[in-house]
Amino acid sequence: MKKVPTLLASLLLAFGLASTDSAAAADQPAPIHFGAIGWESGALTTEILRLIVEHGYGYPTDTLPGSTVSMEVALARNDLQVIAEEWAGRSPAWVKAEQAGQVFALGDTVKNAEEGWWVPAYVIKGDSARNLKPLAPDLRSVDDLKRYPQVFDDPEAPGKGRFLNSPSGWTSETVNSQKLKAYGLDGLYNNFRSGSGAALDAEIGSAIRRGQPVLFYYWSPTPLMGRYDLVRLEEPAFDATAWATLTDAANPNPKGSRSLPAKLSIGVSKAFRDAHPELVAVFEKVDLPIATLNKALARMSETRQPPREAALAFLRDNPTVWKAWLPAENAAKVEAGL
Amino acid sequence: MSGGFPEALQFSFAAWVNRLVDWLVLHYGDHLRSISDQLLQLLVGLENLLRLLPWWLLLLLVGLLAWHASRSLARALVLPLLLALIGMLGLWDKLLQTLALVLVSTGLCVLVGVPLGILLATRPLARRLILPVLDVMQTLPAFVYLIPVLMLFGLGKVPAVFATLIYALPPLVRLTDLGLAQIDPSLLQAAHGLGASRWQRLRRIALPLALPSIMAGLNQSVMMALSMVVVASMIGARGLGEDVLAGIQTLNVGQGVEAGLAIVALAMVIDRISQAYGRPGR
Repeated sequence: MKKVPTLLASLLLAFGLASTDSAAAADQPAPIHFGAIGWESGALTTEILRLIVEHGYGYPTDTLPGSTVSMEVALARNDLQVIAEEWAGRSPAWVKAEQAGQVFALGDTVKNAEEGWWVPAYVIKGDSARNLKPLAPDLRSVDDLKRYPQVFDDPEAPGKGRFLNSPSGWTSETVNSQKLKAYGLDGLYNNFRSGSGAALDAEIGSAIRRGQPVLFYYWSPTPLMGRYDLVRLEEPAFDATAWATLTDAANPNPKGSRSLPAKLSIGVSKAFRDAHPELVAVFEKVDLPIATLNKALARMSETRQPPREAALAFLRDNPTVWKAWLPAENAAKVEAGL
Repeated sequence: MSGGFPEALQFSFAAWVNRLVDWLVLHYGDHLRSISDQLLQLLVGLENLLRLLPWWLLLLLVGLLAWHASRSLARALVLPLLLALIGMLGLWDKLLQTLALVLVSTGLCVLVGVPLGILLATRPLARRLILPVLDVMQTLPAFVYLIPVLMLFGLGKVPAVFATLIYALPPLVRLTDLGLAQIDPSLLQAAHGLGASRWQRLRRIALPLALPSIMAGLNQSVMMALSMVVVASMIGARGLGEDVLAGIQTLNVGQGVEAGLAIVALAMVIDRISQAYGRPGR
């Protein structure tokens, strides 16, 4: 799923590394290496876990940058020990390493994580403050999209609407392309691949700022969800057989279904799992409520807060959330460290 | 965290840039999009024109063009064959999209780059001002300027052309400048003495003598334009870069190699034909 393209990721992560506090690792040997994830929810979760591991258990930690695929490969080789947000079963590299017993997915970190198709609320309801008319007042479900291709007009293919698909190479790109067929929209909408996560975000952000209609694939937990008033289009209930037709790009007659609820876990290497059972126990209990998380992410992105500071604020503001994950004495140590 | 540098001297203009971009998007976003839509029409038009041609006719045209340029039968056979190979890999439509993008970008490169190079060679002030700009264009990471361009001009082919232009223009400007600077000044003086005007001296003497260097610049521009194809696909411009990107993302090395070699083949075809046309004494 969350595959920030290699080039972009290394760019972002290079910035991430430059701003990462590596002083903790200076005097002690072999710190625990976390993958420096580039997208916001991953970056925040990484820092939350690092603060808990550092303060609660006294282990030094460090982060190493890389693209998603290269981090997964590094985890399998134990060059990395932890990837704080792993979208389970979505990446071929991960599935292979998991089957080989080299990596393990721990816990279910964000329940109700979802993906689907969204439009800004002003497209349906209008926005009198900004003088925006409701352009698609009866838009509720994906079926209603058939009546509104002209609203989401695509300049590259005049007469068709533009559906912003996910970045190239994500599993969801296949699913969305199949959904367009399943919902009978492939003749009406241009299946526009946004290329990279950054490009997708920039296009949505620009459209919302200008008050223009935009129809896009997106997922949660993300800053975008906490920041703007968005409406998710209704889709048929989840159905396993229909889902199989959606994930198979070669299937000519896909059937409509909601996407499989996303499962987010913490990925760890085999060596880490063997060496740190006490941390494994904590990671298995990690549970971030999605509404709180989306709000924290929105604030982090809006105020352009570094993830480390956002994580500190999150731990200070929501003690009940994380105290449930670890034994009382370690929790007290974490609290003292904040 | 900030090392030894005194904190009192530190500052950040990031917030200021962010506000500027926000303000531009809010006030000029819609206007700039309508401009970019017109450039888009040109690109899509060229693409559709290429699509109208049956595949064999396009190959035939490339073969004729290669023969006309080089008078070499071997080249006239090998170059279309390279393109046909791309088609056999199932990448024909993506090839056409990339071809349209590269033709428009390199066309713009020549239109902007050669006059700029002449300006550089003849006006010392322009040289001092433009050279640092060329350095910025070549070294500033593409995504730094791409994301704001994308927010202003929309996703897809138009920002891709901008990105390619920014990246591929400098070598052509620099080599045009170099070619003109290396001309023996006595030749130009002789022409001046014979009563040739500025324009005549440039057109009849300077440019033909500088042509090998200019063509080397064009070669670099074409190569760099094609290497930007992958970055272009990261901002929603479809084409061969898309397959490279998807190949990398899914660890499908084979797919990446296929599309990557298709880019190489296309680069060779464009380069061999344009270089043959630029050879002196053809």
